[in-house]
Amino acid sequence: MTATNAAALPVADSVERPTRGWATPLWVGALLIILAFLVIYPLAMLFFGALSDSNPVVDGFGAFRPSIARFLEVLGNENVHLAFFNALLACGGGTALAVLIGLFFSWIVVRTDTPGRRFIAGASMVPLFVPPLVAGVAWSILGSPKTGLLNIALKWLGIDFRFDFYSMSGLILVFGIYYAPYVYMFTSSALRNMDPSLEEASEVAGASAFTTLFTVTFPLIAPAILAGMLLSFVVMLGIYGVPAALGAPANINVLTTYIFKLTAWSPPLYNTAAAVAILLMVVTAIMVWAQQKVLSGKSFATVAGKAFRPRSLNLGSWRWFTFALALVYLFIVVVLPTIALVIAAFRKFLFFKDFDAVFDTKAYSLVHFNAVFDNPLTMLSIWNTLKVGVITALVGGALAFAIGYTVNRTHVPGRKLIDLLATVPVAIPGLVVGVAYLWAWIGLPGGLYGTIWILALAFVARFMPDTVKALSTSFLQIHRELEEAAWICGRGLLGTIGTIVLPLARPGVVASMTLLFVLAIRELGSSLFLYTSDTTVMAVLLLDYYEGGNTGKTAAFSLVQTVILAVLLGLTNWLSRGSAQGSARVG
Amino acid sequence: MKRRTIITGAAGLAAASFAGLPARADDAFGPKELIDAADKEGGLTYYTANFAETEQEVIKAFNKRFPKIKVAMVRAPGGQLITRIKTEAAAGKLAADVINHSDRGLMLELADLFQDYTPPNAADYRPDALVSPKLWPGVTLGWAIAYNTQLVKNAPKTWMDLLKPEYKDKQIGQVVGPSGGTTWTRIMFERQVLGEDYWKKQAALGIALYPSGAPTSDALVRGEISIAPLLYNIIYTKIVEGAPAETVFAPEGVPIIPYADGIPKTSKSPNAAKLFMNWRLSKEGQAFQIEKLGNITSMKEPPAFPKGWDPKAVKVWVPKFDEFEKLRAAWLEDWNKTYGYRQ
Repeated sequence: MTATNAAALPVADSVERPTRGWATPLWVGALLIILAFLVIYPLAMLFFGALSDSNPVVDGFGAFRPSIARFLEVLGNENVHLAFFNALLACGGGTALAVLIGLFFSWIVVRTDTPGRRFIAGASMVPLFVPPLVAGVAWSILGSPKTGLLNIALKWLGIDFRFDFYSMSGLILVFGIYYAPYVYMFTSSALRNMDPSLEEASEVAGASAFTTLFTVTFPLIAPAILAGMLLSFVVMLGIYGVPAALGAPANINVLTTYIFKLTAWSPPLYNTAAAVAILLMVVTAIMVWAQQKVLSGKSFATVAGKAFRPRSLNLGSWRWFTFALALVYLFIVVVLPTIALVIAAFRKFLFFKDFDAVFDTKAYSLVHFNAVFDNPLTMLSIWNTLKVGVITALVGGALAFAIGYTVNRTHVPGRKLIDLLATVPVAIPGLVVGVAYLWAWIGLPGGLYGTIWILALAFVARFMPDTVKALSTSFLQIHRELEEAAWICGRGLLGTIGTIVLPLARPGVVASMTLLFVLAIRELGSSLFLYTSDTTVMAVLLLDYYEGGNTGKTAAFSLVQTVILAVLLGLTNWLSRGSAQGSARVG
Repeated sequence: MKRRTIITGAAGLAAASFAGLPARADDAFGPKELIDAADKEGGLTYYTANFAETEQEVIKAFNKRFPKIKVAMVRAPGGQLITRIKTEAAAGKLAADVINHSDRGLMLELADLFQDYTPPNAADYRPDALVSPKLWPGVTLGWAIAYNTQLVKNAPKTWMDLLKPEYKDKQIGQVVGPSGGTTWTRIMFERQVLGEDYWKKQAALGIALYPSGAPTSDALVRGEISIAPLLYNIIYTKIVEGAPAETVFAPEGVPIIPYADGIPKTSKSPNAAKLFMNWRLSKEGQAFQIEKLGNITSMKEPPAFPKGWDPKAVKVWVPKFDEFEKLRAAWLEDWNKTYGYRQ
């Protein structure tokens, strides 16, 4: 049995939901107006920039002299070609690795009796909290060919081999291990929600556990795998911190570092940067199109109105092998970089004459933490970041739910356009989108500029695709028969959403709001143009430390940021678990 | 005994007034009316392209003398700051009361945004450090040669030493030419003063390239590279804190970069802005920046010298502003080709 066969499940388009005559156009219109404000308007500014050499706010729209020649000139530049090729290679390789790791972990955690599964599940999400810049810095401390801690240790052990993370393979490896949680998030919830009867049927028919895994399980969660793959690929495409820290020393440019260069040079070349950004958008558009092509015409409904428990595979003594593999991954992805950051944060200077120097206690102190907390901007930025994070998660979560439901569960006209508009921002690199938002929103009456809200709105727009995609997976898995049952029982549309869809999709909703919160806290590119002295955020301060050339303070502030995130996420997890248990008891 | 107490007390009082209270009728910072008006405004917003940490120290020192004026800072890298200023100004929302920027050329293009301003000690400044009577070098930085003391046995002493074959194979690190006005000043100096073929000879050694000064200084301290031309202020505070590094000011000349700072016409706290500018440009402000932050100065008679700076031997080199603008594009292209930097 394969995914295609699953299409044989009844697709009940015949039962139409109850809708009122005026409600549908009003609803679609409202969503389109919101999306126009959040996406089309800033995007128009971006195209304006890419196709002209003027700043729409400074020069006015009258100065818009579109010239395709500029755009073609950028396309013809061989450095753009090289950056483009490098980006595809790094992100392609990184995605392949992320899928491998993410899928493996979700299978271990959800479907096997590997010991310590809950611990593995929690710990394997840790890389998601780490800002890319911090990950890049941590791995440059570990894997620099000349001074990396790993290489100093190898030298001490008398081993000739040396790591070189300042390379394309280093970039792929770090991308792969840090973006595996995206794949994990999607696939683990899909595996958890999957009806095991399909797998049981396969085994009854004589297939081995291994065959079942590859012919039934993985194909059935294909939308989740593809969604995770797509998301991690495009997120990697937009990451600046990792290639900046690891690629730059080896003169490896990817599109983001190239765009950052264009905006940081004096004079800045924003219009060229906008043109390069459009190239990125084309790649993403192709990815999204391909995903929809692959998924079209297949049903992936695996959550039906029947109670079940996810099966757990008895691995026997192999479970210790999977446990060991999990530990190795966690050591590489969590322990090693954390050690590097802790050493950098507590050590006055990162110069190591030899491996013994690592243990010289005199070289360690709280000097970087004192400096960080001595800075009045630190507490202000933490407070602002939390405010922006909460607003973004709530507003963005609600909007994503509205969009996700409209796109996935209704047949209203205009839903395809809504889907497209909600996906577009994923392709625009943060730095360029920051300028587009600045251009678009600074002139609006009402004093949006200079408030926390402009940052939150930018994040809502920028991360809408991530949130909508994360939610869509949950929607795709809820069989229509459950909603139909509610309609038949006389529930209206809102009643159905409230009693059926929302509770069933709750793990997905909570997960996407948490994801939004984390992304908002880490976001740098679009903050850089929209913050003011009163609304500075942690990511901007972190870049200040990094650009100030102080790895120690960067590491110390990163640790502070990571601890805050971990505490908040722990709290969210605890709260959502509490409410889930509460509602289960009531139900 | 009693008299002694009184004298000590008076001295203490004088010291306290210097440290904590506004200097009354002190012409160095402006007339009493300006100081009172500035105190009344109570704060200002400061846009800077310099390092946030450095400028925090400047604000702290300013507040020691003028504690009633709260300075809010917005910091962004040079190019990004310019875009922001232009856009905010066009939308009528420029929040800055003082703008501090390293690129005099870009600031000159925006000269219309700024109000007329002259510091009380205007005559103390070198005329070649000014590009407009509205814009003043509140900050001046200078290039030094830095090296890691644990890795370099035979330290370089001159710019020409950086062509020696013993420093080959990426022992020398450098900030890329197109990174901004500060680096452009250095590479212009190299070609005009050290010779047309200086770049070519140096590039032949194999040079590690970095996007900006800060990661270069970090790499030097960590030992990724052994030697680098660096803006003195980037490495100075690290050396003070005990980093394994040292610097020399080369006898062929020290290229300096006078910033262009001004007060926008739209400033909502013009008096506080003027006082902040006056203090930064005063002898006290400049001496503070030289001694504590590793800056240089554009004053004709420097109030202090950085460590290792011999005023008899070290010559300051300021680029001719018309050449600074005119040669830039073509020479940077040459530089990119010579050093194999992909732009």
